[in-house]
Amino acid sequence: MDTNKVILGIYNDPDHIYDATKKLIHDGYRVRDVYSPFAIHGMDRVLGIKRSRLTVAAFCFAMTGIILALTLQTYASYFDWQMNVGGKPSLHIPTYIPITFELAILCTAFGMVGCFFAVNKMVWGKNADIIDIRVTDDLFVVAIDIIPNKTDVAELSSILKNNGAIEIREREFED
Amino acid sequence: MSYESPIRDLLVTGGKTYSDITTEITRPIENKPSKAWWLGFGLSTIVLAIWIFSTTYTMVVGLGAWGLNKTVGWAFDITNFVFWVGIGHAGTLISAVLLLFRQKWRMSINRSAEAMTIFAVICAASFILSHMGRPWVAYWPIPLPNAFGSLWVNFNSPLVWDVFAISTYFSVSLVFWYVGLIPDIATVRDRATSKARKFWYGFFAMGWNGSTKVWHRYEVISLILAAISTPLVLSVHSIVSMDFATSLVPGWHTTIFPPYFVAGAIFSGFGMVLTLLVVAREVLNYKDYITSEHLDAMCRVVMLTGTLVGLAYITEFFVAAYSGVEYEQYAFLNRAFGPYGWSYWIMMGCNLVAPQVFWSKWARTTPWFIFIMSIIVNIGMWFERFVIIVTSLHRDFLPSSWSMYTPTIVEFAILLGSFGLFFFLFFLFMKFLPSINMSELKSIVKTKHALELEKHYTELLNNNHKMPQHAHETKGDSVHGH
Repeated sequence: MDTNKVILGIYNDPDHIYDATKKLIHDGYRVRDVYSPFAIHGMDRVLGIKRSRLTVAAFCFAMTGIILALTLQTYASYFDWQMNVGGKPSLHIPTYIPITFELAILCTAFGMVGCFFAVNKMVWGKNADIIDIRVTDDLFVVAIDIIPNKTDVAELSSILKNNGAIEIREREFED
Repeated sequence: MSYESPIRDLLVTGGKTYSDITTEITRPIENKPSKAWWLGFGLSTIVLAIWIFSTTYTMVVGLGAWGLNKTVGWAFDITNFVFWVGIGHAGTLISAVLLLFRQKWRMSINRSAEAMTIFAVICAASFILSHMGRPWVAYWPIPLPNAFGSLWVNFNSPLVWDVFAISTYFSVSLVFWYVGLIPDIATVRDRATSKARKFWYGFFAMGWNGSTKVWHRYEVISLILAAISTPLVLSVHSIVSMDFATSLVPGWHTTIFPPYFVAGAIFSGFGMVLTLLVVAREVLNYKDYITSEHLDAMCRVVMLTGTLVGLAYITEFFVAAYSGVEYEQYAFLNRAFGPYGWSYWIMMGCNLVAPQVFWSKWARTTPWFIFIMSIIVNIGMWFERFVIIVTSLHRDFLPSSWSMYTPTIVEFAILLGSFGLFFFLFFLFMKFLPSINMSELKSIVKTKHALELEKHYTELLNNNHKMPQHAHETKGDSVHGH
């Protein structure tokens, strides 16, 4: 980022901020992010966010779970110590299915959610850098980078205002 | 084009704004608890004390404190275990299956239903622990190497599958619940005035900032969690049923068990959700969020699954008769007309017959009536497990070992006490966490903009009566409950 100054357009209606963001991006402004109390449908596409690869991670974790479960059961009940329970076979894949299935799901859930926390840099006790304290309540905020000598702040503000912004202010990021 | 559905009412009534939702749902967290809360919490604490006492008594005295005998080796303990695991199923069904089917009415109820799942599984696990007799070796079903003092577990045994199923179910439900809670915990954090609240809600909010990037990923993982929880919820009770179905006991050894148990679990779970929500919407004044439309939808599920289990009861009977196996035939005749016949008819009455009243719209939308019905459903489902377990065991292949089972006061105390444990946890949940999913709910209330559009179109439509009917019915807005 060659800038750490942003302009914040604050809205009270998801439809307004959706239109405003669309227009800003169309006009070539660099929208850093949009903050909202709930997921605004279609906003990720407007911002050009690529489809998350967490689905791939989920698949890999599921495979890990399956391999782990099959290895454990085959090793324990066939290679390490065979048990004769009512003369039933020790290596019997169909009876391994329930545990394999459960471990696949367990690994997927924990692995994927772990990745989700990692990519978002979310950790217990992290101090949140909240753009405006009301974005978790009822307001929607769009943050636009101010590129020195390029961004026309006055024009930007008028676009925000015309699309129904209830408040406009500047803010500096610390990074 | 906006369109008002003629069959379904709005999912959130009272013209709530976003901040209304925040204020009203965080109210129990931010204010001193009401008298009703203290009363409920106090009562459940007393009952919890009964649970602690009776469970400790069992640990000290041993399983001799229960009425089990050589013939009936499983009775109240496993009945209660299956009962509580079943209760849990509605939570996952509401949050996962209904998410995949895009049933928006789940949004006001999924949080509390998921909480209910977690607490119910805790109650269920407690019965497994006390049933073991020696809970200090409860780690034995976990596959640990020989050096640890025992052989590997038998992976062919459904009891071992159950260990994996229940622990996966509990932990995945907990993760699902927690991920769903994060945005709402952040809301409480940002409104917090006291230092302690700021710290603790800040700690668990994990730095949530509401960015679109995060929301995008959040939606992706919610969908995948729902997708994997759906087969999970079906697998859990299927595996529980295999604890019985893979044995050779007449009355247990049937292939119908997995779907039959799953339907029963959803039935009893919805019964419990109704019991809780009918009271919660009254006490917390959430009638605008949990509307009669929600109760109606849940009652329909109760009626459907009740009829399904009823069908299973009849199918079981038919299969036993048709099989020509006299042990099977005797097991079922003994169930219905033997010494425990009364419990069979309670089960039939409560699970098959009683839910049929929900064909009537009045029954589905009258809270006090639903409350009574939900209790009946829970009683019926408890008896279903009692019937399956005790009546199948008490008269086995050898008439000389036939016996009767009578529960002791300790067993009754543990059963009663487990409700104390459940409600104790549930009351704490209602006090410290937002019991309705605010962030999801906000996404389905009408915005001012949408309301204006709707008004505009309604006027247009009213001014043009000649418009063909189908043009009125264009569905274009996702804010309605479909």
